[in-house]
Amino acid sequence: MARHRQRDVRARRIGLILFAGCAAVAIPMLAILFLIANKPSSPWFGQYDPDAHPAYNFSLTDHNGNAVRLQDFRGQAVLLCFGFTRCPNICPTTLGNLAAVYRKLPPAAQERTKVVFVSVDERDSPESLKEYVPFFNERFLGLTGPPADIATTARAYGAFFRKAPAAGSDKDDYLIDHSTYTHLIDPEGNLRVLYRFEQLPETDKIAEDVQRVLGMPVAEKQP
Amino acid sequence: MNRILCALFLSSGLNFAGDLKIVDAWIRAVPLSSKATAAFMTIVNKSDTPVLITGGSCQLAGEIKPMITTKQDDGVMGMALVKSFAVPAKGKRVLEPGGDHLMLMKLSEVPRAGSIVPLVLTTEAGGKPGSIRLDVPVR
Repeated sequence: MARHRQRDVRARRIGLILFAGCAAVAIPMLAILFLIANKPSSPWFGQYDPDAHPAYNFSLTDHNGNAVRLQDFRGQAVLLCFGFTRCPNICPTTLGNLAAVYRKLPPAAQERTKVVFVSVDERDSPESLKEYVPFFNERFLGLTGPPADIATTARAYGAFFRKAPAAGSDKDDYLIDHSTYTHLIDPEGNLRVLYRFEQLPETDKIAEDVQRVLGMPVAEKQP
Repeated sequence: MNRILCALFLSSGLNFAGDLKIVDAWIRAVPLSSKATAAFMTIVNKSDTPVLITGGSCQLAGEIKPMITTKQDDGVMGMALVKSFAVPAKGKRVLEPGGDHLMLMKLSEVPRAGSIVPLVLTTEAGGKPGSIRLDVPVR
């Protein structure tokens, strides 16, 4: 009898230990799953950088021939991309999408937003940029500069470019492969959000990001 | 005279032009200083033979070439000239912004938004050259 009872107690103890062991593993796991499921999703559409790295303070020339530094845009949101004016497909798509983003901003946000197109083509000049960039929106700004300054600026923003063979029979009419990311820089001059080329058609969402980076309430969508 | 030429032209291309349908063709309006622009469209091939689009011609472009868009993992994009766009039998090929396109080069005049540009696509099916005429809106 006593032996039976002893065995009973032992079995119960083992059961208890097993149960405690399972619970010790399962409860934190459930907690983690719960946290993952309930984690608030990022409100940002683009790839958001919470570390706010200062954006490179370039010193270039705008399409009106004026010297421009990034710090001149302090207090404004800056959408910055790289390209070249002879680009017949990628750059017009990018600038066309950014023009749509700009149109979707309320006037107060437009006043505090600058779209900047940095040419990576040594054939471009303030004149060629003036004919090209304002076509998409007259408030957009084209920037150029000595090749060394362009190269430094591109490198600082992680952008890459290289000459590619001409498509037509004219060898001077060469193309340029280039990075197609667009940066959203906050009013303090920090890199905040990065957009891939494929994301640019989502102009509503980018317009919301711009308002968010400006600290403006994001307008509720009209039904 | 023009009409006769046009009719002759159309009839010569009609062999399979009926099997080849171009949908939603448009040319991108670009700044007046531009040296090039792009034409986009969906090419539908209803025939049992694959069709190649080898290029084209129009009055205001010195050259029209098929271009593909290349993309690397790091976001670097570029364009590359190809000999032709293949449109599979009973299939289609989409030319769209940011992707494949027909590049209109050596523009004698930049097409203006709202205008219509007559354009001829040169094709090849089963080794036979052909063509198809389009009126393409600029926007």
